[in-house]
This record gives sequence, C-alpha cells and structure tokens, in this order.
Amino acid sequence: MQHLDHDRLVLLALSEEHEELTESDHLAHCAACRHEMEALRHVAFVGSQVQDLRELPPPPDHLWQAIAADIERPAPPAPVVDLATRRDQPSAGRKPSAGRTAPGRSRRRWLAPLVAAAAAAVLAVAGTVTVDRLTGPATAEQVTAVATLTPLATVPASAGGDVRVTSDGHLHIDVRDLPLTTGFHEVWLLDPDDPTRMVAVGNLPEAREAVLPVPAGTDLNRFRLVDVSDEPHDGDATHSGKSLLRGTLTN
Amino acid sequence: MSSDDELAERLRDGDERALRTAYDRYGAAVFHLAQRLLPGDATGAEDVTRSTFVAAWNGRDAFDPARATMLGWLLGIARRKAVDRLRQADPASTAVRPSPESPSRDTPATLTPDTPASRSPGTPASRDTPELAADRLIVADELARLPADQRRTLELAFFDGLTQQQLVAVTGLPPDVVRSHIRTGMAHLRRRWEVDGAASGSRSAGPSRAL
Repeated sequence: MQHLDHDRLVLLALSEEHEELTESDHLAHCAACRHEMEALRHVAFVGSQVQDLRELPPPPDHLWQAIAADIERPAPPAPVVDLATRRDQPSAGRKPSAGRTAPGRSRRRWLAPLVAAAAAAVLAVAGTVTVDRLTGPATAEQVTAVATLTPLATVPASAGGDVRVTSDGHLHIDVRDLPLTTGFHEVWLLDPDDPTRMVAVGNLPEAREAVLPVPAGTDLNRFRLVDVSDEPHDGDATHSGKSLLRGTLTN
Repeated sequence: MSSDDELAERLRDGDERALRTAYDRYGAAVFHLAQRLLPGDATGAEDVTRSTFVAAWNGRDAFDPARATMLGWLLGIARRKAVDRLRQADPASTAVRPSPESPSRDTPATLTPDTPASRSPGTPASRDTPELAADRLIVADELARLPADQRRTLELAFFDGLTQQQLVAVTGLPPDVVRSHIRTGMAHLRRRWEVDGAASGSRSAGPSRAL
C-alpha cells in the first residue's frame, strides 16, 4: 500500500489544504497514516494555543524559600516510615481490648475491627521480618543491578517498588500500594528497545516482597526494564498489556 | 550532552543548586499547570508547586532522562499532586482524574506502538483538559528549543495561520526551506509530545510510551 507522503500529512494537519477523495479513502483504511495524521493534527492544535505560554510569569518568590527549607529537612527513608506507621496504628487500636472484662456480646461489634487490626499488626511484623531477611543474608550476595519502580500514569502515585538483582541470579522485588487486582501481579523483564520482547520472571505473592529467580541466560543488559503487570486469570500466558510499575535496571 | 542531561546528572548527584536551576527553568511551567488544575485555589497551586519540587528532590533517583525530559517529569509529578489535593478536598472529585486505562488483549499496549489517537481522536479542540494544559507547556517548551528560523516559521503558521505560500512571502525564505522548517519543526514537536505525554501522564496510553 502506498502511504501518504509525510509532508502532505503535515500540510493537511495544519489545515492548509483539504483532503483529496483518494486521501480520505486511504486515511479511512490505513491506521498508520491515520494515527500519524491525528498526532500531527493534535500537535498543530496544541501549537496554536501556546502563544501566551512563551513568557510565563515566575512563581512567587517565597515559594522557593519554602522548597529550600523543605529539602534541608531530609525525609526519613520511606520504608522505615511505612512499617513504623503500620506497627503504630494497630497498637493504638489494641488498647481497648487490653481491658480485663471478658468480651461480651455487646463488644463483639467493635472487636471485629480490632481483630483485623491485630492481624494487620502480625502482617506488619511479618513484613519487617521479611525485610530483615531480605536485607540480611541477601547482602552477602553481591547486588549486580538495582531499579526503582515507578507507577504508570493511571496507577496511584503512591505505588512503587524497588528491585535488586543479586549475583546468585535472583531478583528481589519489594512493591507497595499496588492497585487491587482480581487476577494477579506478574513481573517481567522487557527490552526497552523492542518492548514486544520480554521475559516472564514470575508472579508476585500477596506479600510486599518476593525473591524470584531470573531465568538462566537472560541478558540483563538487553532486558533491563522491569515491569509489573496486572494479569487476569484467563490462561493467557502473554503480557496483558496492563503495566502498573516500571523501572530500569542500572548497575 | 544537553544542558538538561547535565542538570539531571547533577540533580541525581544530590546537588541542591541543580534543583534551583530546575526551578528557575521550569518552576513557572509547573506553577502554571498547578493554577490550571486548581482554579480558584491560589494556596493550592503554590502548595502543589512546592510539593512537586520537594518530591522531585526526594525522588531524584527515579528520574530517567531516557523516559522523559525534566519538564515532562515535573509536570507529571505536579499533576499527581494536584489530583491528590482535589481528592482530599472532595473525595468524589473526578475533575483531574486520569481516564482509566484498560487496554484490551486485542490491543496490548506493550505490543503495539502507542498511538496518539488513543487520546481524543478527531475531537482535539472540544474542551480544555488537564492533558491539554500539560501538552501546551510541553509543546511551548519544545518550540522554544527549535532553531530560530524553524521556530519563527512554525509560530507564523500556528499563531497567524499563514499558509506555506504566505510564509514564503513573509519570511523571504525559499519555498523548499519553508517546507523543510515546517516538516522538521513539526517532527520535533510531535516526538517531544510523544515522549513527554507519557511522563506527564497526559496520555492514557500503555507501557510503550514510557520508553
């Protein structure tokens, strides 16, 4: 198929000329040309609105002072805060249950959340242990690559994670605030130069952390983009196309 | 190495002056976006701008110049901060919420090149959206980076609606030079929009954008 000339698409996008019938016909049938055309049109449309944005007024002076003051108080490392908060909340909530009286029927109603809170406390402690276990013996293995996972645009900004690959060929992954799924979360290694090429590493259990073996022979220089996806239980082993987190491995 | 790359490197090295440079360079754009996203909330716009740069500092290790320009990255953070603020103020608010992403198996985002058409095909002009607000800042920034002749030619075409014939008359440049300026300039703007639309969250497209 003979695609439309790119210069011609630009002209059409700038609304300088009207489509010939044969061109409209081609655009109706050729997704590639149509997408290119729509992209160019959008850019031209946006471009026509930027006249007033070339000289933006600077933000108020005091704003930088506030930023400078904020960054001088370095935030404590996030994971520590995270676990501490989790631990604190249940213990505060547990106080009422420390009462001596045996839980009567009337108490049952508010006990339910307390049980949940206690369970959360256990989970939080378990989480801490896992972290210790991961950071403890794992440090004996040399870390060969790390990645910080950041959420894609449609995923809550609080979601994220960290990845370490150790010299024994394991991928240590720690995720937080992933959106709930009716399926499961899967870890992939993608080739950023050709994202259709990827290696499935494994599924994430319910826990925040997991240690997954990297399939032998995987070239981490090529497959260096870590991807966490939301996979439905549909028996289709290929990537669902719904990526949640991503990060590039660096040495 | 462009000055933006250099800036990114200094930022990741923990050089606070790099954050100041980034603020001098992009603070106005971030503040502008915050004002657009939080109309009538002057304090909110300032808070969002402030927390954007603080978050950029604390999360500087996550900035990957291969995935986005610094402006695109900052606008993405600002957008999320603005959404957070709107949700705090009104949990039911959907004003700036990104449209849900649900690429089907038929069009796995990983497997097909992302297409801008996934945004708002055919109806680009209909209404102002947070996406458009971010797009404008990105396109304006890229336009400013074009060589002077290219920029001037495109500005005349965009703002004054001049045709190529008229551009030849107004600029005194030969027709093939005008054509080349438009073609090259548009290609730059389009590429930049594609790269940074991902980072600033302005497009509800899939993973391939992030690359």
